[in-house]
Amino acid sequence: MPPVDAPHLALSVGFWSDQFVNGLTTGSLYALIALGYTMVYGVLKMINFSHGEVFMLGSFAGYGVLAAMGGDDISGVMVAVTILAALIGAMAVSAGTAAVVERIAYRPLRNAPRLAPLISAIGVSIFLQYLVLDQTDARAKFYPDIFPRGDFSAGPFDITYIQTFLIASSLAMMVFLYVIIQRTRMGRAIRAVAENPANASLMGVDVNRTIVMVFVLGAAMAGVAGVLHGLFFQTIRGSMGFLPGIKAFTAAVLGGIGSIPGAVAGGYALGLAETVGRELLNELPGVDLGNQWRDVIAFSLLVTILIFRPTGIFAERASSRA
Amino acid sequence: MKRAYWSRLHWLLAAFALVAVVAAACGGDDDDDDTGGDGGDVTYGTAGFKVIEIAAGAPVKIGVSSVTSGDLTGLGQPIVDAAILAGEGKTIQGHPIEWVVKDDQCSPDGGAAAANQILQEGVVATVGPICSGAVVAAQPQYEQAGVTHVSPSSTAHKPTFPDRDQVFQTFLRTTYSDDIQGPAQAKFAYGTLQAKTAYIVYDTDAYGSGLRDAFRKAFEAEGGKIVGTPEGFEKKTTDFKSIVTNIQNAKPDLVYFSGFYAEATPFIKQLRAENKDVKFLSGDGVKNDEFTKGAGADAEGAYLSLPSPVYAGDGYRSFTELFEKATGLKVDSSPFVAESYDAATVIITALEKVAEKDGDKLKIDLEKLNEEIRKVELDGAAGKIKFDARGDNVGGETPVSLFVVKNGAYEEVKD
Repeated sequence: MPPVDAPHLALSVGFWSDQFVNGLTTGSLYALIALGYTMVYGVLKMINFSHGEVFMLGSFAGYGVLAAMGGDDISGVMVAVTILAALIGAMAVSAGTAAVVERIAYRPLRNAPRLAPLISAIGVSIFLQYLVLDQTDARAKFYPDIFPRGDFSAGPFDITYIQTFLIASSLAMMVFLYVIIQRTRMGRAIRAVAENPANASLMGVDVNRTIVMVFVLGAAMAGVAGVLHGLFFQTIRGSMGFLPGIKAFTAAVLGGIGSIPGAVAGGYALGLAETVGRELLNELPGVDLGNQWRDVIAFSLLVTILIFRPTGIFAERASSRA
Repeated sequence: MKRAYWSRLHWLLAAFALVAVVAAACGGDDDDDDTGGDGGDVTYGTAGFKVIEIAAGAPVKIGVSSVTSGDLTGLGQPIVDAAILAGEGKTIQGHPIEWVVKDDQCSPDGGAAAANQILQEGVVATVGPICSGAVVAAQPQYEQAGVTHVSPSSTAHKPTFPDRDQVFQTFLRTTYSDDIQGPAQAKFAYGTLQAKTAYIVYDTDAYGSGLRDAFRKAFEAEGGKIVGTPEGFEKKTTDFKSIVTNIQNAKPDLVYFSGFYAEATPFIKQLRAENKDVKFLSGDGVKNDEFTKGAGADAEGAYLSLPSPVYAGDGYRSFTELFEKATGLKVDSSPFVAESYDAATVIITALEKVAEKDGDKLKIDLEKLNEEIRKVELDGAAGKIKFDARGDNVGGETPVSLFVVKNGAYEEVKD
């Protein structure tokens, strides 16, 4: 007979706040990636399935910068400098890739039936994934372990430095994007094209250039997410883009695809559903879901949303929000 | 128009997502607790044995199903190299040996695909697959073709206790079942490490879930307790944060990991970032130099078991010399190389006896070959080898060794 012990339900406040922070962390990554899906959908009414690979390329670009600047030997103030350089490098590579992909794979199909660009996107996704798998011999790469370990305590929350950095920098990126969309000339052009490309064009907006900007902005967000993912989980590989890509797409649908606040809310909601949601389900009598169930939870949520509320949480005026 | 399009698209997406859910749910999690079985009566199914004719001067082909790309190359490639070494300078009645090496990616799909390719080449026997998930998927194909395959490293319970009533006649292994490794780990954890509670993290494939069951049963029998929900993961998972939080909450004495080094590396990094003290115990899938290289300082103090004796025999010494000279690798940098050499040796030894000259052709009766392989007794590179009716190796005496990582190297623990 195994000894009688407290059931695993004896959960503390600290446990829930820790899982909440885990959810926020993953959610931040989903939200950052989801922005790219939702912006492209808002403007082109197309789902850019290669976006997960743009995220992956960002992660590898960041790895390249970190490795070139000294890898594990980086210390002191150089850590901040290198990480900044990695973020910039990742944004550049991701944005460049997205711009090229848009020109080659999507623009020629802009007036084709809706399914054509979708299939083209899947093709690009597979191409990029296997290109990197081939170049890396399909093996994982490990981000250098340079980020200082340790944590802050704030009330019931214990947040590690890296989690703080991840959540804060993704929030900063989202605010930055919001300002661009709402406050700049380019943002106005993006909103105009999202509303009505023909009219926008008549008003003197360069539609092609605007659409490239949409891809570039979304890809830059994904590039940042790639580096943050690498710094946080430390393991990257050529196939890493697929699952976060699908999850971020789920987040975008959850929030209402086409809506920017929707993507952010959807990202956090999905991150929390996978972590806190699974633990809440485990509180039910007779339910004992291991970690392997998190994808089931995420995709069940996607099915449910698509069936009962296909327009997502932020349904109204979805197409006009860019 | 836009609305109509969206509604059509959303049904398409819903269907797609449903497929994703089903795929995720069926991701190979093997939850049945059927670790019982004390041998029992062994009956075989009907294997499709044939007689293979090899033309004058043509080579005798032997398959190798292993991992030659991706994260687990560090496990799979040395096993391939060792198998090929066993055929060095040997011929079967004057016919050269040709190795047909296919990459099975350590996955069920890959195992079945590699089996297909290998069997199409007309092999007479195969070394592998090296992973239990791939073995379980490929067994029916080898059985149907009547081609005997000897795995050097599949340790799970399932290959020799399959889901069907009959045992696979064409499967054997030169390593030891996790029915031996699991209890040895449990005894070590409870007795030597004094761990009263354990938290389980496992790969959902046949190997990970099989070893999990064997350990769990034995650990509870010792008097230990499994705390929390056993946490499964798929290969290539990198996010273990939520598992780590659950571990922190359950406060176990020991974290038990059944899986491979590709996932153990990020896992232990994330675990050690929050918990420096909890003991970590894992098995043969993790004991590899790639683990100590990848996890660096975080691997220190990790305990690993290996279902092989720490060899000392003549067979081992001469193999070590041969292997290190041919590959430039240390013989203990990756497990199962000696077992692979033995698996190939077993096949070649039996072939030499069974192959019959027919004019200038060579005739190989696959049924006779199977019988002969089952009869082989060998004092091999990995110790004594002798197969029971299920195909399990019952030759060795002290088959499980335990190691601890110290200064980036594996040091044997004697209790």
